[in-house]
Amino acid sequence: MSLRVSTIGLVAAVVALSIPAVQAAVRPVYIGSRACAQCHEGAEMGRQYAKWMSTKHAKAWATLSMKESAEISRISGLREPPQKSPVCLGCHAVASDTEAWERDDLFHIEDGVQCEACHGPGSEYANQLTMRDKVAAAKAGLRMPNERFCMVCHIEKGSHTAVLKSEKFEYRKYLAQIEHSITAYGSNSGGPPEPKLVGPEKARRLIGSLACGKCHEPAEKGAQYSVWRMGPHAQAWSILSSNKGREMARQAGVPGEPGESPKCLACHSPGALLPAAETYIPDEGVGCEACHGAGSDYAPEAIMKDRKAAVAAGLQMPKLEGCNHCHLNAHGRPFDAQSAFAKIAHPAKTTQPYAQPRYLNPLRLAERPGARELFVTFEAAGSVGVVDIATRKKVAEIPTGTAPTGIAFSPDGRFAYVSNREDDTVSVINAAARKVIGSVKTGGEPHGLLTDKDGKLLYVANTMSGDIYVYNTQNWERVRVLSASRGPWSMALSPDGGSLLVTNTYSRFTEFRKPRVAEVTVIDTSRSTVEDRTVVPGANLMMGVAWHPSGEFALTVLNRTKNLVPMTQLTQGWTITNALAILWKDGTVDELLLDEPNLGFADATDVTFTRDGKHALMTSSGTNRIAVVDTAKLLAVVKRATPEERAKVLPNHLGKSAEFVQTYLKTGASPRGVVTSADGKLAFVANSLDDTLSVFDLAKMQPAGIVDLGGPKEVTVTRRGERVFHNADITFRKQFACHSCHPDGHVDGLTYDVESVGIGISPVDNRTLRGILDTAPFKWAGTNPTLSRQCGPRLSVFFTRLLPFTADDLKALDLYVTTIQRPPNRYRPLWAPLTPAQRRGKEVFERTRKGNGQEIPEDGRCVSCHPPPYYTDRQLHDVGTKQSFDKEDKLDVPHLKNIYDSAPYLHNGMAHSLEEIWTVYNPYDQHGVTNDLTKDQLNDLIEYLKTL
Amino acid sequence: MMRTRTILAKFAALAPLLAALLLGTCWVQAQATKKLPYIYTQWKNFGVADGLPSDHIFSVKADGDRVWIGTEGGLAMYNKKTGKMKSWTTKDGLPWPAITGIDIDKSTGDVWLALFGGGIARFSGGRFDHYHQLNSGLVNDVVYGIAVEHDNIWAATTAGASRYNKVSGEWTIFTEKNAPMEEIWNYNVSYNGAGTVYLAVWGSGVLEYKISDGSWKEYLDPDGEMEIDLYRDDGIVQVITTAVAPAGDGFFVSTYFGASRYDGRHWRGYYNLDSGVPSDFINSVKARSTDEAWFSTDKGLGVLTDFDSNTWVSYRMDPKTHHGKATVYKDREVLEEVETETGIPHNYVIYAELDGNDVWIATSKGLSWGKGSDYYPRLRDRGVVSGNLAAALPAAAKGGE
Repeated sequence: MSLRVSTIGLVAAVVALSIPAVQAAVRPVYIGSRACAQCHEGAEMGRQYAKWMSTKHAKAWATLSMKESAEISRISGLREPPQKSPVCLGCHAVASDTEAWERDDLFHIEDGVQCEACHGPGSEYANQLTMRDKVAAAKAGLRMPNERFCMVCHIEKGSHTAVLKSEKFEYRKYLAQIEHSITAYGSNSGGPPEPKLVGPEKARRLIGSLACGKCHEPAEKGAQYSVWRMGPHAQAWSILSSNKGREMARQAGVPGEPGESPKCLACHSPGALLPAAETYIPDEGVGCEACHGAGSDYAPEAIMKDRKAAVAAGLQMPKLEGCNHCHLNAHGRPFDAQSAFAKIAHPAKTTQPYAQPRYLNPLRLAERPGARELFVTFEAAGSVGVVDIATRKKVAEIPTGTAPTGIAFSPDGRFAYVSNREDDTVSVINAAARKVIGSVKTGGEPHGLLTDKDGKLLYVANTMSGDIYVYNTQNWERVRVLSASRGPWSMALSPDGGSLLVTNTYSRFTEFRKPRVAEVTVIDTSRSTVEDRTVVPGANLMMGVAWHPSGEFALTVLNRTKNLVPMTQLTQGWTITNALAILWKDGTVDELLLDEPNLGFADATDVTFTRDGKHALMTSSGTNRIAVVDTAKLLAVVKRATPEERAKVLPNHLGKSAEFVQTYLKTGASPRGVVTSADGKLAFVANSLDDTLSVFDLAKMQPAGIVDLGGPKEVTVTRRGERVFHNADITFRKQFACHSCHPDGHVDGLTYDVESVGIGISPVDNRTLRGILDTAPFKWAGTNPTLSRQCGPRLSVFFTRLLPFTADDLKALDLYVTTIQRPPNRYRPLWAPLTPAQRRGKEVFERTRKGNGQEIPEDGRCVSCHPPPYYTDRQLHDVGTKQSFDKEDKLDVPHLKNIYDSAPYLHNGMAHSLEEIWTVYNPYDQHGVTNDLTKDQLNDLIEYLKTL
Repeated sequence: MMRTRTILAKFAALAPLLAALLLGTCWVQAQATKKLPYIYTQWKNFGVADGLPSDHIFSVKADGDRVWIGTEGGLAMYNKKTGKMKSWTTKDGLPWPAITGIDIDKSTGDVWLALFGGGIARFSGGRFDHYHQLNSGLVNDVVYGIAVEHDNIWAATTAGASRYNKVSGEWTIFTEKNAPMEEIWNYNVSYNGAGTVYLAVWGSGVLEYKISDGSWKEYLDPDGEMEIDLYRDDGIVQVITTAVAPAGDGFFVSTYFGASRYDGRHWRGYYNLDSGVPSDFINSVKARSTDEAWFSTDKGLGVLTDFDSNTWVSYRMDPKTHHGKATVYKDREVLEEVETETGIPHNYVIYAELDGNDVWIATSKGLSWGKGSDYYPRLRDRGVVSGNLAAALPAAAKGGE
């Protein structure tokens, strides 16, 4: 073979001379497959490197450029392009979860699944001295993979099966395909060949295809490098080392190894015989420069942008004659240059993924003060629509951040403020100019936002981080971070401006199997401090809130989930009832159900008052209705009741809504936000799943039209699934939808007693639906192998209590569920370096030895059961958390992606914090060996876990 | 209301003098004037009968009209405007009864509590949030002191210092691994409001943490002797420190073997034998300025009122009469002694909180509010007050105005 003496060689030499590194303190780094090839390419080593080059492993990264990969990514709920996605790269490349310092300069992620994917980072063992001593090599990090290791990536993935229709992976069968033992190849070369240079030295030098790929890889440029990498040209060199290649060489009369024959190399690795820069590696076979000429002079971007200059600098455009030179009648085969040329076409244009319509998903809306305009957040489109109230037409659409959710105006109507839930920002919009003029960073997942009465301060509720940021709107300085409860959601300012109510959508943590309590955080706007925390007993998923014009009380909507009783319990409304709460200004609370005896008001979402305060309008996103509440009758019901009735009867009484709900009005699909117009005549409801606004005449309390916001009219399968997910039609008495327990595709933070295993047995913590497609099996017991089973028969039997979804609905639902995306990780922006604490935590996560040097059994290591990229091995394990009322001891290993935002933890939600998993519930080191960790090490581990 | 022991015992003998005062005669002014410090003579004491959960008072923090009081049995809040006391015990959701430290997050009004054996807690809008070594990254539940620094909450514990960032949620532990902590038993933590956090560490003196670059600086006793202090003014008098009170570019530090003042360049040590500090066993220190520091000792309260002249006032309670006694010292020379009907409730003083011109004194037998409505800093020319006249002195006379 003829690898040139290059940096690799120097590195290898240095490594070979170094003392074998077996000290535990040394952190090995990835050196890349070409460094391995220094020893593992020779015939006496079985041409292992060339063998790898010809496998799918070597193309694994390049395949991520395929449009199928984009589709897999989409239906897996991944938000990044596959070649940028940590999840995809976790199996299609090596060391993708490492930082730059953990990779040698000669390591290239583009090489796909290379040697170190299986054998571990090589810097400490990749020297002859160590490698000749298996024990020493193992101590230095050399890993010999087993089936369990391989199956972390090769386990069946629903996403891949759906798109690629691939057959089930059979370990033994595929192991044979990558077999690369030394003995499998006869030795006849007598040692690594010396580099050979043929022909006169020329001024222009080869730079290697990888260098070309730096500019020619992006998807918008046709992913040209990946296209080449997947093609036969990229394997032209490695094929010489195959048995077939050797046989053909023998037939052609080539003596010795074809990989060392100038005759073979002339066509299989033409660059091997030409002058080259250090970046060029002959193993790339027939690379870009084989057709386009040596690139040293034309490769600079400035030259390439000037075609004439590029040509003058040596850029060639290949001609069929050039192809014929090598291919025509090669090895006795005919060659059709025209069709072959078409096969390797690699136009510099975007590879189109499966096209998807761009829906809007209007969520919240607000009328601009002083202008007859509604501003509506379009969650899915990442924009805000402007609707002219008079004409009822959308007149503008303003791009914002990702997942715009809440909207509020400055009192003078000059500025609109929009919370971008997945960007953690607030966009500041010049309302008249229809233009975003800036944005400010918020806490995690901002939802509701409002200004104080004079507009000097802006309050933003950060749902994920559980706090409320207060900004000075003059200079956008963050002046306060107020502690909310769990999931601060919506806001309402009292009519006098003195009190700001913030609903919290999740219950506070309560003792295990104790009733939950939700909190309304009360802010004194004169001091911008928390004045009180109103407790709403039994409430969860508390969302919209509005003050009555009198200032005497406010209304909020919520779920009263009966998660502590078995789901067989049907009395007074079954598992989830839907309610309103009256938040009196003195801090007391009354709750009344909005459900009727035979018809639920599923997913009560938002509330507003008519301007005269006589009515309150509430949306039910699960039943596509609004309820018109007669305020006077509502108050009368409460005042007639005794204190005991108010505490115990009204919150659970299905018959009371008939006494205060004046009427129900039909809306579009999945109504969310509701507002009344400033003139008091109209109400508008944002129908999130048909991209319309419903308009209601408040004088007549009747529908008064629809505003088409301009979303696609096509209903895709995914869109259909999204509607099924949010609709309660499937459940008994329409009491809840999938969305009721999984708001925003996430969790409601509750533990349920699902009687499938017996009443009172095995209560289970709710688990997120975000990005779970490839984390099967499902359920804590791991008994559901597919989402279809989870959402189909099981849902029908244990949850919805009606006929199961139709086949089409189920298919659509499954597809939608898989596409629910995880928000970007709040603790580590994509590819950002780790903080020192996170870096130390990663070492703990991956450690193989305890603090005293004792080896940790494989099953006691974090990374064994939680391997990347999803950080689950998708197996069942006993981690010692079984309680007396639990049936199973072995539990499905949950993935750890965005683990920070799905508390509580463990199968029954008994751990309220990540710390408690180990400080309280791992006394015998069954959930990983952790009891030797010092407190600071545990803190570091948790900091790292939060980055996954 | 201040009265003298003599007034109580010999009211009749005082009648002529009172008459003279009523006539506008100022007997004191007839005395030779000296430069003397302000003396707190108006004390109001609080105990269980006044609504405190316990009369073992560990900590006090003033926040405008509200004064937060940490006791062995719970938390209390005294409203100076209304005169009402409100308290919280474990029955009210307080996570742990013994509160050894209190600090206020000025930006939110939240109250942070150091719980002796129970971790730390945030009291906000009527809700207690509990952070302990099992449910959070707090290094240890035995917490002596707590300080709010920007978005960070610092806790001094027996196993190191913890820092909690309330915005990011990150916990950082400082021990011998990442700080010059020869011992990890942290007795107190304080923030100077200007970028520096101080830790008082048993056996490790004072540790200074610069927020800007995360660097540490240690202040140890240069002579290295635990039993004796060879050179008084060479550094901290002892490495077993109990508290640091930031002042100017430096700080005051209390130890169980005396105290020290550091101005950023020079050191000055203080002992009972050469100053007005009542005892070398000092539980804590608070500073009003670089000139004035309040030392809480096991034998009373010692106040350095003027650094330059080494003038002190000590406040003690007479165990026999339970009346108060303030003694003015220059070095160790007694310049003045004033007796008051009410003084601090017990001589075992644990903590002093400075509240504008007022002071709050936490003792092992109750809380005391010293009212300083006519307070003046450092020294002023005024007549020496003899014990039986103090009650009658008008404020202007005491202040030399």
